[in-house]
Amino acid sequence: MKIDSMDIAELKAELETLHSASFGWALSCCRRDRGEAEDVLQTVYLKILEGKARFRGEAAFKTWLFAVIRKTAAGEYRRKLLRSLKLITGAEQPDDRASPEVGPLATFENSEVQIRFQSALKSLPARQREALHLVFYEDLSLREAADVMGISIGSARQHYERGKKRLRETLDTAEVAYGISWRRKENPDAV
Amino acid sequence: MELVGEEKKIQTLFSELRLADNQTLPSFSATWSRAQARALRPRRVFNLPFAVATALLICALVSLAWWSTRWQHTQQPNVVAITPSGVVPDLKPSEVVPAGGKIPAPSGSEPKKPISAVHRFKVSARLRADRLAARQEANLLAAAKKQATAISSWRSPTATLLSSPNDDLLKSLPQLNESTKDLKSFLPNTPK
Repeated sequence: MKIDSMDIAELKAELETLHSASFGWALSCCRRDRGEAEDVLQTVYLKILEGKARFRGEAAFKTWLFAVIRKTAAGEYRRKLLRSLKLITGAEQPDDRASPEVGPLATFENSEVQIRFQSALKSLPARQREALHLVFYEDLSLREAADVMGISIGSARQHYERGKKRLRETLDTAEVAYGISWRRKENPDAV
Repeated sequence: MELVGEEKKIQTLFSELRLADNQTLPSFSATWSRAQARALRPRRVFNLPFAVATALLICALVSLAWWSTRWQHTQQPNVVAITPSGVVPDLKPSEVVPAGGKIPAPSGSEPKKPISAVHRFKVSARLRADRLAARQEANLLAAAKKQATAISSWRSPTATLLSSPNDDLLKSLPQLNESTKDLKSFLPNTPK
């Protein structure tokens, strides 16, 4: 499927199918900042519309799209850092971004398990977090995850394994602190 | 990918996260239309950093040109200053410029603009400088010629001591077929 052979309606339909997954990936790339993730996704669509990001059929469309999102998020992050550096020297500007949502989702996200899980995810190095997200959240294979991250499959496997190990350790530590054991939940027979 | 044990647990946690994300998913059409609007928005042609850099470059070039012109002007009085005191340039009365720098307009003619007067002053100053340089060169050449002549005609003060009345005798060689009598003349100390 090449972009040259795709008309705009076809491309739009393809992007719409992947919109949910794209947003999830953008969220992961933006350290779960919803506003920033929306901006990134919008910029990605803009890049595709303007032809700055062009699909050449070298990989699956989803893999290519995720790679574009990852690069755009990295660029946005750099720009944000620069802006924050400017703000340090200049006067502080009020943040006109909407305040975090309060509702059913917030309630869910604030659930104890999710809070621990998300903080554990945030504590992981970016590569490990990305590998885990692509495999578990997006249901990609390790090869596809490696393509998205722009690394070899061996490196992707290493990040994946280390990420899993570190996530488990972090969750275990958190459980001890909270006095809850997920192992006990997993194995009710265990004392 | 087959998941086992804790992988299943991680999968469950990620699934819950995905469900939560889907609940707050921004609509595709809204995001797409905003991107389209951004694509149609005219780009800002004016680039501030580029404009500042260009302005600085132009300023630098202009100041360099002005400085070089000024430097050339300041060099001309120095040429006059190194002229030997004995040499006085033969300036025509028309070339003499008063201290004010203004050239009096000839009678009956229209008063000239200040720019042309300045130009005339510049031209006359350049002519004067050229004439002075030519005269200096000629003087130097004449002095060099004089010095060369003096060096070629120079004699050492002790040169007279090297000459004697018997120079011819000392400098000539005896012939093989000369008689003994004649040869005796070469041996002045021998008893005759």
